[in-house]
Amino acid sequence: MSREFVYLDYAATTPVAPEVVDAMLACLGRKGSFANPASVHIAGRRSAAIIDAAREQLAALLGTKPECLIWTSGATESNNLAIRGAANARAHRGRHLISMRTEHKAVTDTFRALAKEGFEVTWLNPDRNGALVVDELRQAIREDTQLVSVMHVNNETGAVQDIRAIGQLCRDRKVLFHTDAAQSVGKMDIDLDELPVDLLSLTGHKFYGPQGIGALFITDYGHCKVLPIAYGGGQEKRLRPGTLPVHLIAGLGAAAALAQTERAENLRHVTALRQRLWAGIADVGGIVSNTPDADSYPGILNVSSDGIDGESLMLGMEPVCVASGSACNSTSGEASHVLRALGRSDSEAQAAVRFSFGRGSSEQDIDVAIERYRYSVEHCRTLAPIP
Amino acid sequence: MRDSDPYNNEVRARFENPVHAGDIEGDYAEVLVADVSESAQGARLVLAAGIDAGIIREIRFRAFGCPHLIAAADSICEALVNQPVAGLASVDSNQLAERLSVPVRKTGRLLLIEDAARLLGEKAGI
Repeated sequence: MSREFVYLDYAATTPVAPEVVDAMLACLGRKGSFANPASVHIAGRRSAAIIDAAREQLAALLGTKPECLIWTSGATESNNLAIRGAANARAHRGRHLISMRTEHKAVTDTFRALAKEGFEVTWLNPDRNGALVVDELRQAIREDTQLVSVMHVNNETGAVQDIRAIGQLCRDRKVLFHTDAAQSVGKMDIDLDELPVDLLSLTGHKFYGPQGIGALFITDYGHCKVLPIAYGGGQEKRLRPGTLPVHLIAGLGAAAALAQTERAENLRHVTALRQRLWAGIADVGGIVSNTPDADSYPGILNVSSDGIDGESLMLGMEPVCVASGSACNSTSGEASHVLRALGRSDSEAQAAVRFSFGRGSSEQDIDVAIERYRYSVEHCRTLAPIP
Repeated sequence: MRDSDPYNNEVRARFENPVHAGDIEGDYAEVLVADVSESAQGARLVLAAGIDAGIIREIRFRAFGCPHLIAAADSICEALVNQPVAGLASVDSNQLAERLSVPVRKTGRLLLIEDAARLLGEKAGI
């Protein structure tokens, strides 16, 4: 990792793995497999074969069938397609939808848009650890409920939801269950052959694949119909038109294959790094962890220190690259809606820092982060008015 | 290549080493303190001046807020030290914002500098 900066923002995006780069390069340029995979000539069929192979690689990682996967541009699009597509497909049966306040904006904004179109949305609050209380979901489901969406791993805090229990409840009540798994695919074990999940969103750039490519899993169990949200060339079973980007899909396939072999070791690696990081900052006065001890993805640690301006804290931490709130909210300056839903004050939420690490992170990176975090907190407190 | 760094060199230098941060250390005929805050953005500025015979001999700040606010506070202290107290009335946040390349959406925070300076001036009788 370059020493120009210390990158600890893996939850925002990950560096593309060398194996993935190789797979992508093989699809670029005149000598690569560049042809439109929809073309019936030799060159097109070569590209189509690469698409098929990548779909099989991703299916193998997820424990599902290739035909259940639709290529998209990423988790945001997958979320939109799943939520909007499923809600509209079942609107004649009912227009009640359920989600959580701690979801990514790609989910909450889609639900808000549907609410303006006549759907009714029930927003569930997390417990103090960020978990959905399954009993509250049970009470919220009605006769006209058609879809529940709960993310697998929270992008800000790392909190892990019990998607098995949530999915089983939904299946028992004949309600579709969608999960945004952008932060868990490739990092945690997911077997869609036995998990009661109907729709799952993922994106390649969170597990060492390229940005700009993702997928939507649609179960073939029961009747999970999804209507398209865009129209055009009929690709991907008419659900997601547009020429398939062969190089990106090849990259995602390679990332999936890599994840299958390295996932367990990566999990051990990030677990050790998080323990080291927390051990180095736990005694900072006023610090609280926003990441639950148990039931969290160990590659994320979110902490707040009281009495610190978040922007000043971040500048003081340079050259360590971390996130203050969701990456997607990083330019808004607004306090994290996730942390506010967990009961943190605006000032605690704005002073939160999310550390996230991965295969390329080292103990040295963590030690630099500890030193810069401690320095920055001390620096900001030294400048602040005496309470 | 467009530089998207939100902090220019002066902001970075003053944030890293704010020479005028802290509390009044010397003995003066008058020590005046202005404590102003802006609830919407959660920023707060404390400006303290040590005054002898109408001259600001020492001026210090404490700030809770973004790096631009901290840099602006340090900058204004540097400009006011060893100046007549009348200078407190002519603090201009627009000039500060321009010199420190403060993004438009944050220029409102620098009004705290003007508020604190004006309050100090009122306490000094100008």
